[in-house]
Amino acid sequence: MLVAVIPAYNEATRVSNVVRSAQPFVDTVIVVDDGSTDGTGAVAAAAGARVIRHGENSGAGAATMTGIEAARRMGATSVVTLDADEQHDPADIPKLLEPVKRDEADIVFANRFGQRNRIPAVRRLFNGIGNIVTLLATGRWVQDSQSGYKVFGPRALEQVDLRMRGFEFCTEIVRESVQHKWRVAEVPTKVIYSEYTLAKGQSFGNGVKTAMKILLRSFLR
Amino acid sequence: MTLTPYQVVAPVISLTAVLYAWNLVFRQKKTVWEACFWTVFWCAISAIAIFPQFLTYLSTVTGIANRENAVIFTFLGVLFFMVFYMIIRIEELEQRHAKMVREMALREAGLDSEKLKMKNE
Repeated sequence: MLVAVIPAYNEATRVSNVVRSAQPFVDTVIVVDDGSTDGTGAVAAAAGARVIRHGENSGAGAATMTGIEAARRMGATSVVTLDADEQHDPADIPKLLEPVKRDEADIVFANRFGQRNRIPAVRRLFNGIGNIVTLLATGRWVQDSQSGYKVFGPRALEQVDLRMRGFEFCTEIVRESVQHKWRVAEVPTKVIYSEYTLAKGQSFGNGVKTAMKILLRSFLR
Repeated sequence: MTLTPYQVVAPVISLTAVLYAWNLVFRQKKTVWEACFWTVFWCAISAIAIFPQFLTYLSTVTGIANRENAVIFTFLGVLFFMVFYMIIRIEELEQRHAKMVREMALREAGLDSEKLKMKNE
């Protein structure tokens, strides 16, 4: 069973489109409403998703892990995670799933930079910095380590255990892939940036805070 | 060369810490990369203990030449460690809190792990 996990925080205007366009490619869509105040959960449920609601905002990492845990308990064999702001195209799901189906990978990272995409220069710079911090903390280079679009195959789904709450969970997933020796694949995907997604993205200050947390954690662990 | 007790104790502690770090790697709790970080750190501690003349070089570079400066820098180090420790404790509390929020959400959604276990049995 393939389950799509969509962590969402105040995405009432976007989440129903994401749910509807993901449904043809997966068996179940789980939306984790991370303490939204704009009715995101109700909108997602009306679109046909199974909604799990956090009592309060706990961060993208915590919401993703809740979705993964829910999928595990529902008997999922693979999970695809995608953002709720319409920046990922669910039509790429079959392509992302291919390496898992061929038993060549335990985790598949989407790569926004692997094909022609209109990505603002500042976003490319932030992602580059994120990749370098991830390399320093984990020893593994992933071309698009900060993308929320991923597929967890059966082995990765069974073993993944995220502890970080915020956006640093993307780096933690790379760390998990090193620790558990998962086979990794990277697949170029489409990305749709709009003013809305850019405004919702991480600020530079947030990025620095995230980087510091990752480095501190990896040194202390 | 006469060794002081510190010059014996520091490398022993460092060796223990390095062995512990690599033990965690074998128990899959730490990555090889993190263990390498710790190995470099503890090797530096041992190196300073065994070759204290390195500190003379450090003193020239940093300008910490007298006892008063050394005391200030030591306390700055202690304060830095305390802040660092508190940040980590706060983060651990946040993680525990998030875990509770997550578990409550799953329970409310009818995905309570114990209930599911009973259903399967």
